Amino acid sequence: MRARAFAAQLMLSAIVIGAAGSARATDFDWKKFQGKTVTFLANNNPISQALLTHKADFEKLTGITLKVDGYQEQQMRQRLVTVMNAHSDEIDVFMTLPSREGAQFGAAGWYADLTSMTRNEVAPEYDYAGLSQALLKAATYDGKLTSMPMNIEGPVLYYRTDIFKKCGVDEPKTVADVEAAAKKIKACDSSITPFVSRGLKPALPYTFSNLLHNMGGSYMEDGKSALCSPKDKAALETYSRLLRDYGPPGVVNYSFPQISALYRAGRAAMAFEASNELRTVMEGGERLKDTTLIPFPAGEAGQVPTAIGWGMAVSANSKQPNVAWYFVQWATSPAVQKLLAVQGIAPPRSAVANDPEYRKWIDEEPVRKEWQAALDVLAAKGSSEVGYPIVANPESREFIGQAVQDLILNQKPVDQACADADKALDALIAKK
Amino acid sequence: MPDAAATLTEDRQRLELTALSAPAVLFTVGMIAFPVIYTIWLSFQSFSSTGKPSFVGLANYAKLVSDNEFWHGLWVTVALYVLSLVLQLVFGIWLALVLSHARRLSSIVRSLFISPFMMPPVVAGMMWLVVLDPSLGAANYILTSLHLPPSDWLASPTWVIPTVALIDTWQWTPYVALIVLGGLQSLPPSVYEAAQIDGASPFKTFQRITLPLLLPTIVTATILRSVDLLRFFDIIYITTQGGPGNASNTLNIYGFRVGFEFFNIGYASALMLTLTAIVFGVVLAFNRLRGAVAW
Repeated sequence: MRARAFAAQLMLSAIVIGAAGSARATDFDWKKFQGKTVTFLANNNPISQALLTHKADFEKLTGITLKVDGYQEQQMRQRLVTVMNAHSDEIDVFMTLPSREGAQFGAAGWYADLTSMTRNEVAPEYDYAGLSQALLKAATYDGKLTSMPMNIEGPVLYYRTDIFKKCGVDEPKTVADVEAAAKKIKACDSSITPFVSRGLKPALPYTFSNLLHNMGGSYMEDGKSALCSPKDKAALETYSRLLRDYGPPGVVNYSFPQISALYRAGRAAMAFEASNELRTVMEGGERLKDTTLIPFPAGEAGQVPTAIGWGMAVSANSKQPNVAWYFVQWATSPAVQKLLAVQGIAPPRSAVANDPEYRKWIDEEPVRKEWQAALDVLAAKGSSEVGYPIVANPESREFIGQAVQDLILNQKPVDQACADADKALDALIAKK
Repeated sequence: MPDAAATLTEDRQRLELTALSAPAVLFTVGMIAFPVIYTIWLSFQSFSSTGKPSFVGLANYAKLVSDNEFWHGLWVTVALYVLSLVLQLVFGIWLALVLSHARRLSSIVRSLFISPFMMPPVVAGMMWLVVLDPSLGAANYILTSLHLPPSDWLASPTWVIPTVALIDTWQWTPYVALIVLGGLQSLPPSVYEAAQIDGASPFKTFQRITLPLLLPTIVTATILRSVDLLRFFDIIYITTQGGPGNASNTLNIYGFRVGFEFFNIGYASALMLTLTAIVFGVVLAFNRLRGAVAW
């Protein structure tokens, strides 16, 4: 019923928008490109799944046919690489993760510049200014706006209140508290994994970056890799120690599916994992009443959470960028993002986050309130730096992951692990 | 004169047949040749896929020599290949002998024996990933129930190669068994009758008759499995993505990551062509061996 009400509201908004548009000199008309077809290359994740449940609304509103080409994340990138290298116009809109590939795709000229579209071809109620400025900034390269934010997400700490209570542990306020809590839980109940987070090489920079920034570290100093700086080394040691001494066996192969499964099964006391795993973690309802969720506790530099988001980009090879923009605009509009929000997709707009109906949904469960509170911190303080801020960002994550795994597996002392990583990363940075 | 007319008709028929089959032949050759030629061209380029290609000659191949990850990948590929192949041949021959002797085995049991290789490798990988999960998996549950120490399986740099080899052996042993079973059924019964009359023991019969006569079949199975094993990808990608660290980073996984995750298509092409050359070399060597053991 709620979804229908939202859909009705969306249609009403569209009518209002249409009416308002018709009264203006530079009319905005949702039906301007009626009869056209837009091809959307989608990552088959919860965001696109939620969005595409409203596909018919878009087609009805605009008269544009939406053709969806959906794949899993890695396969989607392979398809994109093939299409863009062939300079093919078969994809009009694609999903992108600016924190990972933004600089790379930006340098390759794969993104159409959306700047003028957001100024000249925009519905009155689009509320461009209401989008997370941090995410818009993260999606801007060389002054070009490359994508529009679809969601906001970042790693947060899920923890079990019942286990904390049983073991006499208070909510951790600092990074040191997390380790102390893990130690106490390990002594209190050996059947529980005290702490779990990402240990898989290419996946772990997502969570590690949060800890690194909290502890005052940074990936680069004076244009060089800085993993051997004292703060970075401390972060490498802390993260790997948490996983080695308090994590599950085999943690080096852990990414979000394993972490969520372990925590949902009641086998872990703390899980440092993505905010958008909330729905998966709460599946079955077993963790609904015994879980609290907070941004990762502060380190020496306070709380600098990782905040990223998927974006929607228009292909530079599209022959109809303006038509494609209509789809992007609809998908990232306040009305649609409100629809997605109640499906568990955290909105990249504070106005949506404060919407009464969304708040009602949030208030239904205490854990949703905590989730939103954590997202508010992410939106306010977040950094989108996951891995090195260089064109070869995806490759840089490999070397960060390797250094952490070397420590988890006790294969190298920290000085050697960070020096090896720095050497490889400096070569990568030098490549430009 | 009639002969000349007949020759003319034959020539015309040949021409017609050539003309009719030419499009299909050209299409097929083009479909095979184009990707290969394109990959060779790419391997001579510095091509990051997000930039413009520039000709670098043999630089990508020269880079292979000094690339530690390449040599490590080659070592992992060979280790996994040898271990998996030996296990699959030993168990495949054993399973084929069991199936050929147990004629009363129901068709359901026979189907169950050969079912793993009908499963898509991605599904097999996902299934084993769950079974071998050190915390939640059934494998460690069984081990601890038997008071045996649990293992890290795919998460251990030491055990990851044997574990992946075991998964592949589980999946492909039935395939080897089917090939060997076909070979067993084609062996002449007269030699077995002669051996029986001479009083040869079952082991001697296997050692002196079955195994030598089966060698051409075994070499065929070896060639087929070699091609797959040297290009091993799917199960590793699903279960470890080349980890932990780079302990299971085969050449194929490495090439894929260089190409599609780091977008260095030129170097990835050089890697993949080198792997292709290795596969060709191994297949040619075994082909020669097959000629030598033919009877």
